Amino acid sequence: MKIAACLSILASLSAFAQTPLFADRKLAIVDAYAHYQGKGDYGYAQIAAKLWRHEDAAWCSRKLEQLLAAGPVGDMFWMFPVTAIAYLDRGQLSESARTALRRSWKSYMPYRGDTENHFLLYYTSLYLMSQLWPHQSGEMWYTGKSSEENLEEARQWIESWVKLTTTRGQGEYDSPHYMGVYLIPMSYLAAWAKDPAMKKRATMMLDYLIADYAPENLDGLYVGAHARVYEDQLVEKWNGVSSDFGWLWFGLGHPLPLPDNYALYYSLASAYQPPEILKQIATARAKPYTHYERKRTRNRWRFFDDLHGRVYKTTYVRREYAVGSDQGGVLQPIQQHSWDVTWSVPDARGVENTFFTIQPYSSARELQTYFVFDPDSGTAGVVKSKKTYDSPDKLLGGSPYEKLFQDKDTLIALYDIQPETRFPHVNGFFSKDLTQTTEDSSGWIFMRGGGSTYIACRPLEPYTWKPIAGGGRRLFSPYLKNGFVVQVAAASEYPDLAAFGRAIAKLPLEFALDPVPSVRFQSLRGATLEFTYGNTPKVNGKPLDYNHWPLFGGPFLEAAVDSEKLVLKHGKMRRTLDFRNLTTTDSVDPEFPSAP
Amino acid sequence: MRFLLLLGAFHSSLYGQYTLYAAMANAKEYIVGAKLPPSGLFLKTASDWRHLGYNHPFISSLDYDSSDPSILYLAAGNGLIRASEHGEKWKFLTGSDVTELRDVAVDHNAPGVIYFGYCHGIRVSRDRGVTWRELAGGLHRKFTEALRVDRARAGVLLAGGEEGIFRSEDGGETWKIAGAAGFQITRLVQSPHAPCEWLAATQIGGLFASHDCGKTFENSGRIGVGGNLSDVAFDPRDPNRIAVAGWTVGLAISEDRGATWQSRNAGLPSPHVTSLAFDPAQSGRLYAGVNQEALYVSGDNGKSWSKDGLDGSVVTRIDFIPESAGK
Repeated sequence: MKIAACLSILASLSAFAQTPLFADRKLAIVDAYAHYQGKGDYGYAQIAAKLWRHEDAAWCSRKLEQLLAAGPVGDMFWMFPVTAIAYLDRGQLSESARTALRRSWKSYMPYRGDTENHFLLYYTSLYLMSQLWPHQSGEMWYTGKSSEENLEEARQWIESWVKLTTTRGQGEYDSPHYMGVYLIPMSYLAAWAKDPAMKKRATMMLDYLIADYAPENLDGLYVGAHARVYEDQLVEKWNGVSSDFGWLWFGLGHPLPLPDNYALYYSLASAYQPPEILKQIATARAKPYTHYERKRTRNRWRFFDDLHGRVYKTTYVRREYAVGSDQGGVLQPIQQHSWDVTWSVPDARGVENTFFTIQPYSSARELQTYFVFDPDSGTAGVVKSKKTYDSPDKLLGGSPYEKLFQDKDTLIALYDIQPETRFPHVNGFFSKDLTQTTEDSSGWIFMRGGGSTYIACRPLEPYTWKPIAGGGRRLFSPYLKNGFVVQVAAASEYPDLAAFGRAIAKLPLEFALDPVPSVRFQSLRGATLEFTYGNTPKVNGKPLDYNHWPLFGGPFLEAAVDSEKLVLKHGKMRRTLDFRNLTTTDSVDPEFPSAP
Repeated sequence: MRFLLLLGAFHSSLYGQYTLYAAMANAKEYIVGAKLPPSGLFLKTASDWRHLGYNHPFISSLDYDSSDPSILYLAAGNGLIRASEHGEKWKFLTGSDVTELRDVAVDHNAPGVIYFGYCHGIRVSRDRGVTWRELAGGLHRKFTEALRVDRARAGVLLAGGEEGIFRSEDGGETWKIAGAAGFQITRLVQSPHAPCEWLAATQIGGLFASHDCGKTFENSGRIGVGGNLSDVAFDPRDPNRIAVAGWTVGLAISEDRGATWQSRNAGLPSPHVTSLAFDPAQSGRLYAGVNQEALYVSGDNGKSWSKDGLDGSVVTRIDFIPESAGK
């Protein structure tokens, strides 16, 4: 991080009152780039920010020509910045800069990539540039296709993505980092698409994507299971793009010292301000709630009959903490995060306010499922950019030997690890920021997270501790049939950690490890939970109904699978997004009791 | 452009009837979004290798238009590309509905018919890529790594994917398992000498051979078993000679149609060979792409090697394309 730039943005933010207005937050993000104070300049992002502000047009032209002359690099990550520049030009760029920009869309072939976000960035940029330069032959485009052919191909993909997302969920779901590269395309299309239907669809998708985040944030931190996350944000949950957006949209938490350029490009286009109902959903934490989502796996090219597997998410949120999970298994390659507890802290910057366990898994089979890699060079290729993928110490990634079950703030993680797997053990992340930790003779570990949260964790097999570089400890347990029972409570519910521990130790717990791990536990909330590895979990004797898991469910969001419709709910407020008819309807629920 | 044509003409006279192309990626540090050193399609000139068309990180395979071999079809990560003017001028023939193409096969007996295999199926065009139709409906698993058209039997296709080798006698409408069940197929080739002879390279399973026009395949000895083969080729100048390439196998030659094998790695920098090709115009000349090292050439069927160029590359395919139609 460039220190001067950090100081600049912090200085600009400190000029505001405690919670600046949305317009001021947006301006602070733009100015961090337009008036970038670090060494050198910030390239395309600075050009775009200055054009947005109508500043230094001559510099913008010179710089743009210089960058293009050096040769475009970055595939779709080049496309979206220069698309913004083209639309923010508005007569400011020189003719030669404009010509250089036009020429680059013939001379450079950006690769389309292999992920959902790559495709969305690629096709949104191609759509908008084809719209900007209509009626041009294939000779003018790297695709060899005419403007109209490019536009149509891009339109089809964007619409198919919206339909898939609103019927079966995102594949690259709930990523604290990659959420930005879904918001940028929708922000662009909402601002710059000429087709009213595309514009409307994109605006509705902004509501949809923000709604996807709102109930799963705690003080702006994205909690629970993620399709993709980087290790630095995995343990320091504040340290990612979601912190920028939580702050920009709702004034929650703190943005990154220099907000990520994802937040910049979002702000330079539509800069969509979420409606009041989304603000309420994002901030209402007075009553604990359980939120459900169904997502899908990334495309599985091999080893499965269905292209997309189902992902079942459960997230329990209250003012003091959140517990979130998926069902376990390898749902995504490399960067999956399957469950965690996150506790609230006054200022999350630099704090590792989370707890979770994993089975560290890496395999050529996983990579061949989701990529077209050959088996021998695939892992080495991944490790080039995802350094810990093939490490026994890692804290990130899904495992086929992990099964999860959550009911409110109780979570049971079971492991049945095949001995021939690369790393036959489990890891648990015990943060440096746990304020108290007690290993009780009952076998439970009792912890206090910050001032707000008590966590109880019962490993089913013995373990040892290993230090983590940078602080904290890693629980290491080499037993193949293994598991953890986790129960969380608010610190306000007990006089102290010892009292919490006594309450937990009294809860009936039975478990067996052979032939497969199995747990029967009466939770702190009074439910009898039964979970056997590989079987459907039961709550009070009733199996979880995965077949009727909603696309979104809970007090704030309601969407059925395949419905293309999402209802946002808070108090009496209702907003219905109907993608089949491209309508947004705001209403008041007359049935809702007057006191929420 | 005139200069390029002259180069092509010079090249043609030097190498006789064929032009040598290589698809490669110089992608040691490349991930999507990163800077990509020169990669994609290359043409062998008298002195070196010349980069054609656009910089591209993932070209898996190539074939040529029967009526005009200066037109190539490239199976690429982002679609099927028509590369005309000897590979210089590119146009995508597919749209957003297919990705990660693995192989392309032109039916040289049926003008305008192009097939490609990709990560989720097989498609055919009967109008030179204007329109496409999916053909993998009858396959249990769709991933298709290798695809060949039987040059001697109209309508016969062989496809290799996740679950073995499949054969179709009706242009891909229906498929039957032909062998190597349960193994991932990496390459399929038909003998230039006897069209009923086929070879298939696999992951883990080694080499499989068919002597009945691809109807059945049987394992061909121990070569490559337990490892991963990446390529296989018949020597067009000698019906008894075949070669395989693979990870740890490196390059191996059989002079007796696969009965016995000799390792030919002496002089190669590593035993990880990703692709190979016999020169149809010069006996004993053999090319081998060594993983992230370079393309190597041998003049004595692999007994000795010298570096030919494309330093640092992963060469995915080496193909000799006829200079003119009908060859």
